[in-house]
Amino acid sequence: MTEKKSKLPLILDGDPGHDDAIAWLLAEASRRTDGICDIRAVTTVGGNVSLDKTTYNALRVCTLLGIEAPIAAGAPHPLTADLMVAPSVHGESGLDGPALPEPDRDLSDLTAVELMAKVIKDSEDKVTIVSTGPMTNTATLLLAHPELKSNIERISLMGGGLGFGNWTPAAEFNILVDPEAADIVFRSGVPLIMAGLDVTERALLEPDDFERIRDIKNPVSDIVWQWLEFFYKFHKKLGYEGAPMHDPCAVMALIHPEIFTFEDYYVQVETGGEYCRGATVADRRRVMDKAPNAKCIMNLNRDAFADYVFEGVRAYG
Amino acid sequence: MGEIFPVWMDCDTGTDDAVAFLALHALECTDIIGISTVSGNSTLDDSFRNTRGLKRLVGADYPIYRGAAAPLMMREKVHAVDVHGKNGLGNVELAQPESPEASEAPAWDALYEAAVKLEGNLRLITTAPLTNIATAFMKYPKLPSLLHTILIMGGATQEGNCTPCAEFNIYADPEAAQIVFKAGSQSGVPIVMCPLDVTEKVMLTAEDMDELAACGNEAGRVVHDVLQKPLEFHKKLHDPGVQMHDSCPVLYLAYPELFDTEEAGVVVETRGGITLGKTVTDLYSDKQFDFKNALVCLDVDEKEFIKRLKELIKSIK
Repeated sequence: MTEKKSKLPLILDGDPGHDDAIAWLLAEASRRTDGICDIRAVTTVGGNVSLDKTTYNALRVCTLLGIEAPIAAGAPHPLTADLMVAPSVHGESGLDGPALPEPDRDLSDLTAVELMAKVIKDSEDKVTIVSTGPMTNTATLLLAHPELKSNIERISLMGGGLGFGNWTPAAEFNILVDPEAADIVFRSGVPLIMAGLDVTERALLEPDDFERIRDIKNPVSDIVWQWLEFFYKFHKKLGYEGAPMHDPCAVMALIHPEIFTFEDYYVQVETGGEYCRGATVADRRRVMDKAPNAKCIMNLNRDAFADYVFEGVRAYG
Repeated sequence: MGEIFPVWMDCDTGTDDAVAFLALHALECTDIIGISTVSGNSTLDDSFRNTRGLKRLVGADYPIYRGAAAPLMMREKVHAVDVHGKNGLGNVELAQPESPEASEAPAWDALYEAAVKLEGNLRLITTAPLTNIATAFMKYPKLPSLLHTILIMGGATQEGNCTPCAEFNIYADPEAAQIVFKAGSQSGVPIVMCPLDVTEKVMLTAEDMDELAACGNEAGRVVHDVLQKPLEFHKKLHDPGVQMHDSCPVLYLAYPELFDTEEAGVVVETRGGITLGKTVTDLYSDKQFDFKNALVCLDVDEKEFIKRLKELIKSIK
């Protein structure tokens, strides 16, 4: 992708989460430095932990990071399935590790979908949705407001994997939690960027990177360092050599697409299946006679990625 | 002279099955006990007739059996006549042996009898949908533990060739495949899986085929002739040659050192929509199955493989 970087009005929809928080930091840092990202709304969904916790975390993260956009709570559970959470990855609070400031702001009176719709309607430019959790809110938006589809520039999502899963052998967590929502998003016709496990498991921040960030010594660096340490502790046991920056890939792909490689595929979500529910299936050999619906990120320049995360933290002084 | 392996082959001859059959016949370390045929690349009748034609070609005396004419669960039959020609053997009709087969026992009964007689020494090679083998395992629950090893051409760790997810032999009868892989975890019979990951790497080029045609034996001429139709098919896909899928388990039996393998849990998706027939492995996922039921071939020394395969064909008198 070599398109010109113009201003990007963003909706951040996620289930924070250590890696969601770092993704949001990248977006806010971009607003402060190069002015590319313009965060218009933050919305939450149940996923890594319950909706109450992800919403509280969103308020705390936005307080810490100085994200001034309105924040709205979204779907407490997936469209049709029961909620499945991942406390083993992010801790009981969903954002265990360092103490965070208590929220200094209130939640919007609107629901996530109402806020998303309002932002998209009010925006002169098309809006990009960054989805870093189960896609329940985004799917509901697409179903309830088909008239707004053409005002969505694209959805940049962390989810799935073309070759393999993580939460089951075939499925990645965000998609597995709400496969029906993901199916709606993938079939929506809205342009998609898919940051799947193919790239996100390679987007590793390593212990050296943690230390570089810790040594910045600004108002956020110590907390980001502790988040990374916490996130790494879980993944180290699984054999990772660093902390996989799943969700930050979905933001980084918008700000620095040049550090990634993309391939266009027609991607479908398995909603049935005994072993494959939640799998994202790409027609890599083009046997299906379908036009691609997603720009899938396949690989990245890891060192450049680590440098840009470092720069993001440094934007805070 | 080393150990002699008693072998049973189950096939759906089949252009690449024909090459595998001839390679197996040529191996000095094998004693072929019987061959069973099944519906797959083409109909059961075609598989049986084509295999009998090969038997006459090489002057063999081992018995050929007929097995299942349709998949277990009355799924619609899937054939691969676009690759293998309308008779399954590249539209080459081989002369038949003069006398009929001595026994008309179905494949599953004959296989079971042979396994009992050989007291744990029989190697089973499958190069077809697993309908015969699953039927045998259902009828004779003790059969898996009476086998020495099952070597399967089938499946893929990531992408399929028949659908984006599924490889042909598994897709043609997913329930049968699941029964066989489950037998691996239940009875402990060792399974060697040769998935597309390796089988697509080993190709005979047009030059290889010409070389075999000119080598002076009938087998080389037949290999050349039956591979012309698949060569045409693969040329359209811009492949450099014809993939010798079915020769993989045969050469694994004799030359395991040519392959890189890894132990994995493998299951077959039988209830998926787009993932029907996918062999799901836990090789690349954080989440592991609680069993390892297959040794999966992940890489092969393709040069040495093709060299030895050609030598075997040339050695046939």
